[in-house]
Amino acid sequence: MNPQFDLGDLRQLYIAQPEPTSVRILALTLCTAFLVAVLVLVRRGKLREEYTPIWTSVAVATMIATVWFDVVRLLTRLVGAWTPSSTLFFFGLLFLLVVSLNYAVRLSGMSTQVKLLAQEVALLRARLAAAEARGAGPTPQLPAGSAAASRDRE
Amino acid sequence: MAPPTETIRGSLLVIPALNEARSIAQVIRGVRDSGAEVDVLVIDDGSRDDTARIARESGAAVVSHPFNLGYGAALQTGYKYAVRAGYATVVQMDADGQHDPADIPRLLAPVCGGEADLVIGSRFVQASDYEMGSVRSGARRFFTFLLVLLGGPRVADPTSGLQALSRPVFRFCCSDFYPTDFPDIDVLLLLHRQGFRIHEVPVRMRPSPPERRTMHAGLRALYYPYKMLLSTFRSWLTPRASPLAD
Repeated sequence: MNPQFDLGDLRQLYIAQPEPTSVRILALTLCTAFLVAVLVLVRRGKLREEYTPIWTSVAVATMIATVWFDVVRLLTRLVGAWTPSSTLFFFGLLFLLVVSLNYAVRLSGMSTQVKLLAQEVALLRARLAAAEARGAGPTPQLPAGSAAASRDRE
Repeated sequence: MAPPTETIRGSLLVIPALNEARSIAQVIRGVRDSGAEVDVLVIDDGSRDDTARIARESGAAVVSHPFNLGYGAALQTGYKYAVRAGYATVVQMDADGQHDPADIPRLLAPVCGGEADLVIGSRFVQASDYEMGSVRSGARRFFTFLLVLLGGPRVADPTSGLQALSRPVFRFCCSDFYPTDFPDIDVLLLLHRQGFRIHEVPVRMRPSPPERRTMHAGLRALYYPYKMLLSTFRSWLTPRASPLAD
């Protein structure tokens, strides 16, 4: 005779399963190491302070979830998942997507800034070369020999 | 203190060039020989060969990007140069010898005459023996259709690099909206929606040298239609009375 399971009860069983202490210790250790790494990168000047809030927030949130695992169980019930680990994967992936999009936006802005700077450098170098060719200060806008410059002189 | 008044000069020919050492001297010589009254400006877009030196020795003004920025960015550098130097009109042509400098006066005439703000040198406005591959030809037809569908101008050759622009147009194109890679129907649609008048004149073009790697080759051939659809959609959504016009 096949035993009959109530899926709702089975799901509650999955959600309520105790979190092994070893996993908690591992998570806390990793989060602490991550926080220390962020601080070291800031101290060495390799990570700007403005980029740190998101990483410190994630590390602290993960530590809180590790200590009070009922938060994860509550989230699991809310999102309709079966296991806390699924919930963690779901929010982890969501976080990575949002962070990636955020960096793509920042990268786009910086690409525009780099393009503008490179164009300015190129235009200023041309202007300087033209001024040097004339033996004058860097005031003229036009390169020596151009028809418009010739018209100006006439 | 009153702001300085601009002195408006003649026409500037902008030639964006990337590794065109073999053809750039001939192109500049062709412009000189054609008798077109234009100043020649070569935008060296981070070439690894002697393009800049040869162009300078051929009598052109040269602006060199410190590294490769893209065809659209090179054109935009030329527009910025023209704005600062006070040119009234800009003509742009490719550095591979595909375009005939003898067409420059015919391109400039409608702009200087106040009939148009942007004039495109078209391979297809009249019967032409110019041969385009079937894939590129199909893409051109599709984008031409799309341009009209979105309320843009009816243009036979939207990807032509031979164009003449009035000062308001190239000043407008100095804005950040201008693409760094392929300024094609997205720009035409945006300019049309801003109220600029776009005309075409028939020109003859030689085929690109076979060894030349075009900007639509390789993986870019896949990226181009995707990017063009997206940026055209963006142009379509840009309000007609855009603050970009300032």
